[in-house]
Amino acid sequence: MNEDCRLSPVIHLVDDDEAVRGGLAMLIGTVGLRVQTWARPEDFLTGFDPDGVGALVLDVRMPGTSGLAVLDALKARGVDQPVIMLTGHGTVELCRRAFKAGAAEFLEKPVDDDLLLDTLQKAVRQHVRSRERNRADRLARERFAQLSEREREVLGLIVEGLTNKEVARALGLSPRTVETHRANLFAKLEAGSLAQLIRQFAELVEDGDAP
Amino acid sequence: MIRPSRRFLPWLLGWLALSLASAAWIGAAELDRLRQSFEADARIVHRLLSLRAVEHEAILATLALLDAPDSVDAAQRLPSIYPRIVSVLRRQGEAAWPDPARSVELAEAEAASRRAGRAWGLVSELAHGRLWVVLAAEPASHALQIDLPSLVPAAEWPFAADAPLRVELAHGGRRWIIQPGASADGGWRFGFDKVLTVRSQPFDVVAERRVGAGELPWLRMAAGALAFAMVLVGAASLRQQRIARRRAEDLLRLGQVGRLNALGELAAGMAHELNQPLTAILANARAADRMLRDEPPELDDARLAMKAASEQARRAADVLARMRRAVERPDAGAATRAVDLRAAVGAVLHLVEPELRRLRVSPRIEGQTAVAVMAEPVALEQIVHNLLLNALHALGRVPEAERRLSLGLVADGDHGRLTVADSGPGIPAAARGRIFEPFFTTREGGLGLGLSLCETLATAMDGALELAPNGGRGAAFSLSLPLAPPP
Repeated sequence: MNEDCRLSPVIHLVDDDEAVRGGLAMLIGTVGLRVQTWARPEDFLTGFDPDGVGALVLDVRMPGTSGLAVLDALKARGVDQPVIMLTGHGTVELCRRAFKAGAAEFLEKPVDDDLLLDTLQKAVRQHVRSRERNRADRLARERFAQLSEREREVLGLIVEGLTNKEVARALGLSPRTVETHRANLFAKLEAGSLAQLIRQFAELVEDGDAP
Repeated sequence: MIRPSRRFLPWLLGWLALSLASAAWIGAAELDRLRQSFEADARIVHRLLSLRAVEHEAILATLALLDAPDSVDAAQRLPSIYPRIVSVLRRQGEAAWPDPARSVELAEAEAASRRAGRAWGLVSELAHGRLWVVLAAEPASHALQIDLPSLVPAAEWPFAADAPLRVELAHGGRRWIIQPGASADGGWRFGFDKVLTVRSQPFDVVAERRVGAGELPWLRMAAGALAFAMVLVGAASLRQQRIARRRAEDLLRLGQVGRLNALGELAAGMAHELNQPLTAILANARAADRMLRDEPPELDDARLAMKAASEQARRAADVLARMRRAVERPDAGAATRAVDLRAAVGAVLHLVEPELRRLRVSPRIEGQTAVAVMAEPVALEQIVHNLLLNALHALGRVPEAERRLSLGLVADGDHGRLTVADSGPGIPAAARGRIFEPFFTTREGGLGLGLSLCETLATAMDGALELAPNGGRGAAFSLSLPLAPPP
C-alpha cells in the first residue's frame, strides 16, 4: 500500500448481519468516509491493515468470535485505531467491560446516525492527529540519536537555559568549542530556532541520555 | 423417588422401639404387682402358721396345768374342738408313752423338752403330714399329734387352690408340701423363706411363685403397641400432607419463576432479532435522507437505500410472525372437559392460603354449590389464580379492617360465571379500557401480562373475562365459561 492510501482514513465495519453492514456502510459513505466491511471477525483480524488510519466499528454479539474478544485481540497486537462497539442489548456490565478493554465508544443499536457519524469523524480526526504526533516523535528520536556524547551534554545545558559562556564554564570548554557544538547539533536536529529545539527535544533530553 | 418401604422404615423402627419399651414397662409393672401380692399373701401364711404353732404350745401348757386323773376325758375332747389335733397322749410316772410304735421317739423328745424347759417338736413324720409336739411336765407329760393338712382351714388360706404356687414347711431336710403348684421351670420366680419364730416348731415357711409367660398382660401390651401405631400413622400422614403441600407450593413458585425466566429469554431474543433489522432500516433511511439532501441529490443510491430499508421492515415483520407462532398455544379450546367451577376455585384458594393468612383475609363464597363448566382445567386454574392474586395484591394496599374478598358462583343461561370482587383501591377510570392489553400494568414491577393471558385463555375456551361493574369500591372481574351439558 502506498503512503497516500494509508493516509486516507478507512472505517472498518465488522458485523455478521449483511443488512446491517450494508445500511451502516451506506450511511457512513454519505459523509465521504471510506468503509471496508467484514462479515467474519476472523477474516477482519487477518485481513485489515493495522498501520492504516481510521476507526473500527465492532458488533458485540457475533457468532464465533464476539466483539469483545476481537477488541482484546486488537489491543494485544498494539493496534492503535480507535474502536467503537455496537450492541443491541447494552447492559452496564457489558459497557464497563468494553471500556476497560480499551473501546473508544460504546453505542446501542439501532444507532442514531448523527451520533454514529460524529463519533466516527471525531475518532478518525484523533487518530490522524495521534499518528502525526507519533511520526514527529519518531523523527525527533532519530535525529537525537545522531548526536555525539558531548553534543548531548551541550544540548542538555542549552535546554536548561544556559548561555554559551555558561555552558563553556560548566563543561570546562572554550566558548569557541561550545559554539561549534551548538552549530553542529542545530544542523543535525534540523532545528531552525532555539524555541523549536526546546519544544521538540526537551523531553528526549530529560528522558535520559540513551534513547 | 424413594420406595415406600424405605420411606416408612424409620417410622416402623420408631414404632417398634416405642412398642417394645411400653411392653417392657407394662410387663415390669405387672410383675411388680404380682410380686407384691405374692409377698403379702406369703406373710399372711407365715402369720397363720405362727399362730397355730403358738396355739399348740398353749394347749400343751394348759393340759399340763390342768392335769388331773379325770383329765383324760378333756384330752379326748380336744380333737373334736381342733380338727387338726389327731390325738393327745399322756404319760405319768415311770410309765411308757401309750403309743408303742413311737414310745422311744416320744421319750427322747420328752427328755429334750425337760432339758429345754419348753415344748419340743418331733418332725420324723413330717413327710407324712404329721407333727408331734411334746411337753414334759409334772405330774404328767403330754404329746399332741397334729395333722398338717388341716393346719389351716381352706377358708383362711390366702392362695387359690389352683394357683401356680408352691408352699412347704421344711426342717432339717424334711419337708411337708402344703401346696404343690409351680413346679415348671422358666418364667419369673418369686421366693419367700422365713422361719416360724415358735421355738418348739422352728419350720422354714418356704413359698415359691412362678410367673409364666402366659400370665403377662399381653392384651394390654398389644393395646399399647396399637395405640402407638395409630399415633405414629397419624403423625406420618400429617407429615406427608405437609410435605405434599410444601411441594405443591414450591412447584407453583418454580412455575412462576420459570415463566418469568422464559419471558425474559423471549424478550432478550426478541430484542436481538428485531434490533438487527431496525438498525439496518434506520441506517438506510437516514442514509437516503442525507443523499437526497445532497446537491445534486444522489437519487439512485437513495432509492437503493430505501429498498434495503423496506426489505428490512419486512424481515422484522417476519420475526414477529415467527415469534407469535412459537408462543401461541396450539389449541387450548380442544382440551376442554366438564370441570366443577367450585372445586377449581377451592383448589386455587388452597394454593393462595398462605397469602390469605398473611393478609388476614377470609374469602366469602356465594352462590351455587356446584357449577359444571366446559374448561381446560389448567387454564381455568391459571385464570382463577391470576384473578385471586390480583385481588389479594389490591387488598394489601388497604387497611386490614377494610379487606373484603368475595367470590360469586352462578349459572346464568348457558354460561357459568365466577365473579371475583375485592375491596381494594379499584382500577382507575383511565386504565379501565386498557387492562387487558399486553404489557399494560398499573403495578410497580408488573409485566402486564397476567390479565392479557387470562383473557386469551378464556376466549380460547369459548368463554370471556370481563371487568364487572362493581357497585362499591374495589375491582370485580367476571369469568364466564360455557356450562357443561348435563351428564
